[in-house]
Amino acid sequence: MMAPQKHPGGRLPEVAGEWIDRSQRISFSFEGETFEGYKGDTVSAALWAAGTHTLGRSFKYHRPRGVLSLANHDTNTMMQCGGQPNVRADVTALTTGMNLTAVNTFGGVKKDYAQLLGRVSRLLPVGFYYKAFHGKRLFPTWEKMFRAITGLGKLDLAAPRRHTPKRYDFCDVLVIGAGPSGLAAALAAAERGADVAIVDENARAGGSGHYQLGNDAERRARTDALLAQLEAHPRIRLLTGTLAAAYYADHWIPLVDGQKLTKMRARSVVAATGAFEQPAVFRHNDLPGIMLASAAQRLIYRYAVKPCERAVVLAANRDAYRAALDLLAHGVAVAAVVDLRSEVDADALESALRSKGVEILKGHCIAEALPTRGGHGVAAARIAPLSADGTPDLARVREVGCDGILMGVGWAPAANLLYQAGTRMRFSDELQQFVPAQLPEGVFACGKVNGVFDLDARLADGTRAGEDAAAHVGLGRASTVAVPPESECPSHPWPIVAHPAGRNFVDFDEDLQLKDFANAVQEGFDNIELMKRFSTNGMGPSQGKHSNMNGLRILARLTGKRPEEVGTTTARPFFHPVPMSHLAGRGFNPVRHTPMRPRHVSLGAEWMPAGSWQRPAYYRVAGQDSLTTIRDEVVAVRTGVGLIDVGTLGKLEVIGPQAAEFLERVYVSRYAGLKVGMTRYAVMCDESGVVIDDGVVARLAADHFYFTTTTSGAATIYRELTRLNTLWQLDCGIVNHTGAFAAVNLAGPKSREVLSGLTSLDLAGAAFPYLAVREAEVAGIPARLMRVGFVGEWGYEIHVPASHGLALWDALMQAGAPHAIRPFGVEAQRLLRLEKGHIIIGQDTDGLTTPPEASLDWAVKMDKPFFVGQRSLQIIKQRPPKLVLAGFELGEAFSGTPPSECHLVIVDGEMAGRVTSIGWSPTLGRHVGLAFVPPEFATPGSRISIRVDNGELVSASVVRTPFVDPDNLKQKDGAPA
Amino acid sequence: MTTARMSPLAAAVVPAAIATADPAAALTFEDRSLLPRFGCKGRGAAAWLAAAGLPLPAQPNSWTALPEGGLVARLGVTEYLIEGSSELIARLARIPRGEGVYPVLREDAAIRLVGHALPELMRQSCSMNFAAVALDGCPVVLTSMVGVGVIVLPGETNGIPDYRIWCDGTWGEYLTETLLGIAAAPEF
Repeated sequence: MMAPQKHPGGRLPEVAGEWIDRSQRISFSFEGETFEGYKGDTVSAALWAAGTHTLGRSFKYHRPRGVLSLANHDTNTMMQCGGQPNVRADVTALTTGMNLTAVNTFGGVKKDYAQLLGRVSRLLPVGFYYKAFHGKRLFPTWEKMFRAITGLGKLDLAAPRRHTPKRYDFCDVLVIGAGPSGLAAALAAAERGADVAIVDENARAGGSGHYQLGNDAERRARTDALLAQLEAHPRIRLLTGTLAAAYYADHWIPLVDGQKLTKMRARSVVAATGAFEQPAVFRHNDLPGIMLASAAQRLIYRYAVKPCERAVVLAANRDAYRAALDLLAHGVAVAAVVDLRSEVDADALESALRSKGVEILKGHCIAEALPTRGGHGVAAARIAPLSADGTPDLARVREVGCDGILMGVGWAPAANLLYQAGTRMRFSDELQQFVPAQLPEGVFACGKVNGVFDLDARLADGTRAGEDAAAHVGLGRASTVAVPPESECPSHPWPIVAHPAGRNFVDFDEDLQLKDFANAVQEGFDNIELMKRFSTNGMGPSQGKHSNMNGLRILARLTGKRPEEVGTTTARPFFHPVPMSHLAGRGFNPVRHTPMRPRHVSLGAEWMPAGSWQRPAYYRVAGQDSLTTIRDEVVAVRTGVGLIDVGTLGKLEVIGPQAAEFLERVYVSRYAGLKVGMTRYAVMCDESGVVIDDGVVARLAADHFYFTTTTSGAATIYRELTRLNTLWQLDCGIVNHTGAFAAVNLAGPKSREVLSGLTSLDLAGAAFPYLAVREAEVAGIPARLMRVGFVGEWGYEIHVPASHGLALWDALMQAGAPHAIRPFGVEAQRLLRLEKGHIIIGQDTDGLTTPPEASLDWAVKMDKPFFVGQRSLQIIKQRPPKLVLAGFELGEAFSGTPPSECHLVIVDGEMAGRVTSIGWSPTLGRHVGLAFVPPEFATPGSRISIRVDNGELVSASVVRTPFVDPDNLKQKDGAPA
Repeated sequence: MTTARMSPLAAAVVPAAIATADPAAALTFEDRSLLPRFGCKGRGAAAWLAAAGLPLPAQPNSWTALPEGGLVARLGVTEYLIEGSSELIARLARIPRGEGVYPVLREDAAIRLVGHALPELMRQSCSMNFAAVALDGCPVVLTSMVGVGVIVLPGETNGIPDYRIWCDGTWGEYLTETLLGIAAAPEF
């Protein structure tokens, strides 16, 4: 080990175009120490400038880690910032008062005791999770232990909820990436007349055009010129700090910024997403101070921070040579450029380096980086010539002192969005990169993601893509711009050096080493998908942006395949982590209210959801439990008068000469012969004969029917009826009046008395008989009244225009006051109708129940020419039903745990049916219910056994329904109350 | 006892910042639910309304103003929504429905939103691109906002966005409170 090297403060003199504002100092703390940076700094940049290079610890072995990419992928330097976990230090802007700590450490980032895990790494081979945790008995122990020692960041459950908006946006052409090619594309599309949005995840636009300079100001000036044109262009919107996080069908792109998620609908998309620079694999390639060449350039040009004092640059392309020149221009000594390539034509970049005395070692590699004492930095690079077979000649190794190593050996396309869009990619041997082979319609690619690296070529490629994208939306013709071919291969095919002592990391997120891949293949995981899951390569927070390509190359070599044959994995949307607050965003939960809501509130309604409606379950009574209250509401209706809001029922109308014919077709009963002024129960089936809805059909005129549906079925039934009449073309129209009418059910022996004071309508049984419908004024309000008996009492369903609903409610409550009228809720209604043996579709039926099974056979008129479901019912009726709905009751003396809905009916120890409804009847003083039972048990007097929650069998008697008023006497004049 | 008609938005909570009705505010809100309104649809609706003396929009999903105030909005191909004087609406209600005419009871929640904040509010509540709608065509947009089916009549008054929105009255309170809540939220 070498002696520790002191890192001096690394802030450079002002650098042209720097992002920092030196007039605004910002104080913050990291690991308990106070630091100072500038506005415009990221956390990593400010710490690096202050000489702090160990910014975090690795996930598995807790090794010190520093800057790697400075491009939103430094997942080993995620930090806890107060209550906010996993702040990405490499890209998060510094703000005053930040209190930061490294995540995943025990005892702090400097001393992290968990680094001992690195010493026992032999016990933690690749895939050890799968080998260690398969036993159920010890799993809870393992889980507890590993949950304690792993994980990134701590969630503050007390953190205040953060509301983030979601919004929609639209454009003709969306350009993703505001580097040189993206800028050119945006301008080209806008010049054709397109409304263009260009997004970039960075705080400022310009991309590599602002930092991959090779100390050539002209390169920067060209980008600046483009940017100035773009910012002045009236048809271009530039959105920085905005990540295009995924691609969905029809060019639907979620854009994520610091505050919100925007759903961008573009007519065409240009992916100018660039490329991820890839690390080289050599021993100790993870030490703080070893970083991607582009990371060093970002430090210099964005934040005016010196990456190191003396660097070795590992190179395999011109970009690395430019990085070396950038270092030199900013006071960093370059000890050597180590070029993996042996055959490279000398060019101006090489000449410039040599002229400055930089040693260039072609055909060499870095076999190993030597750490400083404690392992918190790099002390030297061990450089070896590469043999003909690509392995290092360790006999000729040479040690070069340095405190930084830049890796400029190649790129992987940032093609995640292109993959998600369905792009077919091919591997280019010339470029050593996957490039688009066939893009989906309306999707275009340019720049590095398209395999174009030379700056001139990128600008041309951007112009081409922008023009093509504009042409796609009808603005001009396809581009004729020619893009020159690349003059060098930007990526090395094998930037990987084996070492017997390992610690040559391929995946920095998961601490995967080169040997782990060999072991995985040896275990049989030799397919890219299996390898990924077994080794966890690419499954960390950076999702393989720096490991997938090397992993793929390694797997290809281990299995003797070409990279293209190995294939790639597709990152699912969102390809980059997005804060949960953004994903949750602002949610919409539409709620419907009837016009009577204010009265329900003042009466103490306990609300319950019914589809999208809120309905009163019951009305609270001070000092009384809910069960007693509900039973009291039932008693009030049975003995006096009650009022329930039934405005949630579906309310439809069918009008026209063929209205009756229409209803004949959609319902199982007959309506052609229904007299004007009368109603009839209505059951609807689907094509398979399954009961899907019920209600009441009222005939207001020969060609005019008003009918109700279930509360939850209204929208679906209206849609289906509209669809059917579009097919049938009958001369009638369907109108959905569900929300336009308020409705109440005034029920009970005293209902007629209450109503009589509010209407001039003759309410005598003969004049307004059971199942009749009338149109009349109630309390001066035009109303439709139906004498129906869902709850089994004399009563009136009264429908009025919604704006009069509250007035109707008030009038009825006032008129009913002398009769002790009581509002009742859904729970009481359920009990009342159960006593009457009326079923509820969806509760006493399910998605397979046919009329014979629901004991609704009486309503089905099979001799009609046609109705929906008739053909299926003809088949169904040829065999007896397996189950039928039957009433049952428990004895009056029953005192155990009663069954609940969905409890099973047991016959000979086997499941034979189930309870659909059950309740304690205040009228009868015992539990009554409905259950599906085998037909042989449906005869009154049969005994059935129901298994309750505690496993006991409860015996019940099958009885005929209705349980109360079986002869319907309550609907007749003179009936006893 | 309440005897008058009641707006479905009577109980809606309007944030203080919006309730001021300051014309210079970023957003102002008006409940127009109780305006006299009539609706009908069907293949005979256009002829029936024309016979009643109403000017009709030539294009589906467009509207036309009534000379005495009010409007006729054509919803799709054969449905119409009329807002006008109480005399007009009462007269229409009295005319016997003709062949192929199906009256639609319009008990909508109806609101008017005006202000510079409106385009952003629409973007945060509706997936329709209102910026691409040409106002000179008097458009009527049938779409969904915050999960509720709505009729939107986008417009401008003195260069300021001025939209009228109708929905089923039972959704009205939710729609209004949600829209105004978004506009009044600090993150808006």
